Amino acid sequence: MESKKKPRIELGEITYHNIKQLKRLNQYIFPISYNDKFYKDVLEVGDLAKLAFFNDVVVGAVCCRVDVLDGVKRLYIMTLGCLAPYRRRGIGTALLKHVLDICKKKRHFQSVFLHVQINNESAIKFYQNFGFEIVESKEQYYKKIQPTDAFVLRKTFHGDDDEMIEKSNGY
Amino acid sequence: MPSNNPLPPKEKALFNRIVKCYEHKQYRNGFKFAKQILSNPKYAEHGETLAMKGLTMNCLGKKDEAYELVKRGLTNDISSHVCWHVYGLLQRSDKKYDEAIKCYRNALKWDPENLHILRDLSMLQIHMRDMEGHRQTKYTLLQLKPAQRAPWIGYAISNHLLKDYDAAFRVLEEFRKTQQSEDAQYEYSELLLYQNLILRQANRYQQALDHLRDNEDRILDKCALDEIKGELCLQLNDLKSAEEVYVGLIERNPENVKYYEKLEAIFMPNTTEERLEIYDLVHERFPRADAPRFLPLRFITGELFETRLNAYMRRQLTRGIPPLLITLKELYGDASKVECISKMAESFVENLRSSNKFDPSDESEEEATTFLWALSFYGQHLDAIGRHDHALAVIDEAIAHTPTLIELHLARAKTLKHLGDMEEAAKAIDEAQSLDTADRFVNCKCVRYMIRNGQLKEAAQIASKFTRENVTVDDYALEMQCMWYELEIALSHWRSGRLGETLKKCHEVDRHFHEITQDQLEFHQYCIRKTTLNAYTRLLALEDELRAHDFYFQAARIAIEVYIQLHDEPYQDGDNDQNNQDTSLTSAELKKLRNKQRKADRKKAAAEKKRQEQDRLNKRKQQPPKNQKAEDVNDLKKEDEFQAEKLVSCSDPIEQAQRFLLPLELHRYESFETHHFAYRVAERRGKFLLMLRALQRCRKFVDEATLPDLHLCKVRFAHKVRHTTELSPLISDIIKRHKVEVFGEFEDGEDIAVSLNNEFIKQYPNSLAHQYAASKAMYYMDESRQKDAFSLLLDFSSESEHIDLKLCQRIHDSLRAKRDYGVVQSAVMKEFVSKCSAIFPVANVFGFHRAAITPDHESVNEDGEDGNCGGGGGDLYQSNIKQTDQQLPNGASHQQEQATN
Repeated sequence: MESKKKPRIELGEITYHNIKQLKRLNQYIFPISYNDKFYKDVLEVGDLAKLAFFNDVVVGAVCCRVDVLDGVKRLYIMTLGCLAPYRRRGIGTALLKHVLDICKKKRHFQSVFLHVQINNESAIKFYQNFGFEIVESKEQYYKKIQPTDAFVLRKTFHGDDDEMIEKSNGY
Repeated sequence: MPSNNPLPPKEKALFNRIVKCYEHKQYRNGFKFAKQILSNPKYAEHGETLAMKGLTMNCLGKKDEAYELVKRGLTNDISSHVCWHVYGLLQRSDKKYDEAIKCYRNALKWDPENLHILRDLSMLQIHMRDMEGHRQTKYTLLQLKPAQRAPWIGYAISNHLLKDYDAAFRVLEEFRKTQQSEDAQYEYSELLLYQNLILRQANRYQQALDHLRDNEDRILDKCALDEIKGELCLQLNDLKSAEEVYVGLIERNPENVKYYEKLEAIFMPNTTEERLEIYDLVHERFPRADAPRFLPLRFITGELFETRLNAYMRRQLTRGIPPLLITLKELYGDASKVECISKMAESFVENLRSSNKFDPSDESEEEATTFLWALSFYGQHLDAIGRHDHALAVIDEAIAHTPTLIELHLARAKTLKHLGDMEEAAKAIDEAQSLDTADRFVNCKCVRYMIRNGQLKEAAQIASKFTRENVTVDDYALEMQCMWYELEIALSHWRSGRLGETLKKCHEVDRHFHEITQDQLEFHQYCIRKTTLNAYTRLLALEDELRAHDFYFQAARIAIEVYIQLHDEPYQDGDNDQNNQDTSLTSAELKKLRNKQRKADRKKAAAEKKRQEQDRLNKRKQQPPKNQKAEDVNDLKKEDEFQAEKLVSCSDPIEQAQRFLLPLELHRYESFETHHFAYRVAERRGKFLLMLRALQRCRKFVDEATLPDLHLCKVRFAHKVRHTTELSPLISDIIKRHKVEVFGEFEDGEDIAVSLNNEFIKQYPNSLAHQYAASKAMYYMDESRQKDAFSLLLDFSSESEHIDLKLCQRIHDSLRAKRDYGVVQSAVMKEFVSKCSAIFPVANVFGFHRAAITPDHESVNEDGEDGNCGGGGGDLYQSNIKQTDQQLPNGASHQQEQATN
């Protein structure tokens, strides 16, 4: 018997050729579907959207966009997810690390943030492991899913915050 | 230069410029110079100038004038080699190679040592496979120019092609002495390999081996060198050296299956164990190689097979090898192996589903992709062994597991196709295509499925993702000789009864083959110049067997069927749908009508031809003498195009069928189908001896599946012979002599056809394929027995033998087109369809349409929540939001997502 190989996790570009894969992923992972504009814009954000390949099969993705409020640039994670059978294999970590790496390289982001359904404990814990904090809760954020409330999770970067990102990579 | 009418120096210089212009393709200028000479009344009829003017005009697209001028030139100066040469070139450009050769020969009569003409002649000779003439010409060339290299090689090849290996080898050997291997290393290496090929073909193995060893350093293709060496050592029974060579080759590439066959030939294992040992040794040396793991599965059996298969499948499923089924498929001839594969795949799927392990006793767990590939394989496997329903369920489970894996959608489409649900299959493959629109393979598959589903427009749209812009897909396919596409389109037209369009596509494919044959003209000189002699001789062999290619076979098959159909039921103007036929006529009346129709058609066709000829001439005259090359080419192209209407209303369909049949008889002799067609065509041409010959050949190549076809031919032949009164004594004598051989023993005066058919019905009472043939025969012999024929045909159930979707579809088509039984009562049709739909419940042809029952995939998934992704900060998507109060559901994405530890 050969020794077991570690699974390969790689990130890949989203192009107009494979955008339908992202669409299918989102349909399977999230309870709500996104409109065409969402997919059109994803093609424009470059590195801020990625597919995750697990042993060469597309199983997850992350999509972010830049959010500017009062002249301050922040990164907003619109979706980050992975197909059910492939969870707990480090795919989410790889995707989130990718996002944090971008923030680290392009220092002009003041913070990165996202919304999470308030009962989604595993997700909250996941982000907390990477230094995110609950900063706000929004009532009636979701309309068609229960519960309807959401937390805002945020990780703020200060000039010398790099160390902290390094540390959190270890989790 | 002997000519009746030499030009004075000034004109002579002009003439030379015409020639130069021709060589440099400056036809306009050449034309001007020619006019200049001819404008001098003294030389207005100068033969060579007239000829050159004609040749120049030919290149400007004015063929008719060109012929006129060249012929006039030749008449004025019949002993000029230039005129003859020019006439030859003109004929060559018109693809009349035999005529061109004659012209060249005449030219050489007046100037026997003209290198230019000799070269042109030799090229056409090899092109037309006049091997003797070719050698002669090459010999002359060599004598004239012994210092150049091309004549040597050319002469050697001409000897080789005539199988005079000795001469070929010696010529090359002489030539080689004059060559320095340093300056053209690659050419020299090719030359050596070619020389070696000649020795091997002459069966002089020892000499070949010595030759190889002597020149080892100068042969650059080391892999070819070793392969040849190994082969020769084996031939010479020098097993020790052979072993050394093949071990070396396996070191170089352990995946080459051929090498293992040679190793077996060297070691000559007596037992399976010994045989297996060879592979295990290589496996130890190259643990990552696939071939030594797989190949033993071919010959081991029982428990050993099970163990090895288990290891092999585990490895492939873990690695994620999509074409695992294709690799294993060759083992499916062995029922016990199929059984073993079935069980193993099923248990893998069960165990991986429940515990992530191949086997509960395994220590470590597998990744989720392993389960996915196991499902994928199991689904494809079930489909391959005919359990399509189960296959579909397994594949659907896999898609629910990972919807992004394109291979699954391909497998799903294929399974649906096998179930007869082409509509859903086309949807499935479209899903595959849309997931990766940069994948050309999937794109082509999608196009194929859509065409089969009758979605020609959609298919073209999908195909256009890969074709050039501004060109229709059909034109692109034509230009690129994309024959699978053209054949699919032809089949689609045929299914819809558009016979003209069908024929058009078949003729286009036929023309591609013609073009490929013509294209070889370019290579005769080129290959010698580049010394790619091994490849060149392979090319010549390929061209000789070109129409053995399956694409030609497919095109010919469709064309012959359609032409036979057109013969039996002539095309009526504007009637594209065979169903519109007037049903109130009896078949005798119909036949009369058809004959009348055909006569009228023939007249019409002749008139039409005349008219078009006239049109063409008029058009030519109207054309301005401008150099509009593109326009000229376009015009030529249009003229060349096949016209559906013209093809379908041809006056001699059966002669057309014969034309498509001939290459099959030459290149596909060993196929039953060829001779089956030959019989049917001969029968319609009323050629009894050809029918007899075809029948005999059919008998030679018949197998279980084709037996019903043979039976029908036999019955028809016997019936025809019995009911034809005006058979010549010679023919009927010959038929009598072969009677027993073809039909078996029958009493004198017995109606062989009837007896044969009755016997056949008794012999195969439970097979739809056989019943179909017998019932067709019954109706053919006696149209009043239509009712009996139908009750025979309809006596089948899912328990019948030889029942499959394709056959039922064929019968259905035949009933619908009233091909075999004349007019079919709707009750018969209904009964047939309802019986079929019970056996093939989701087949579209028998009335099933999934879309009518369930909403399609797309709408289920995208139902409901639509278009909502505003976001925490600034609603970028606001304008598109219908329910503005709903916000981005980001958090939902992390329901179970967690960081790994």
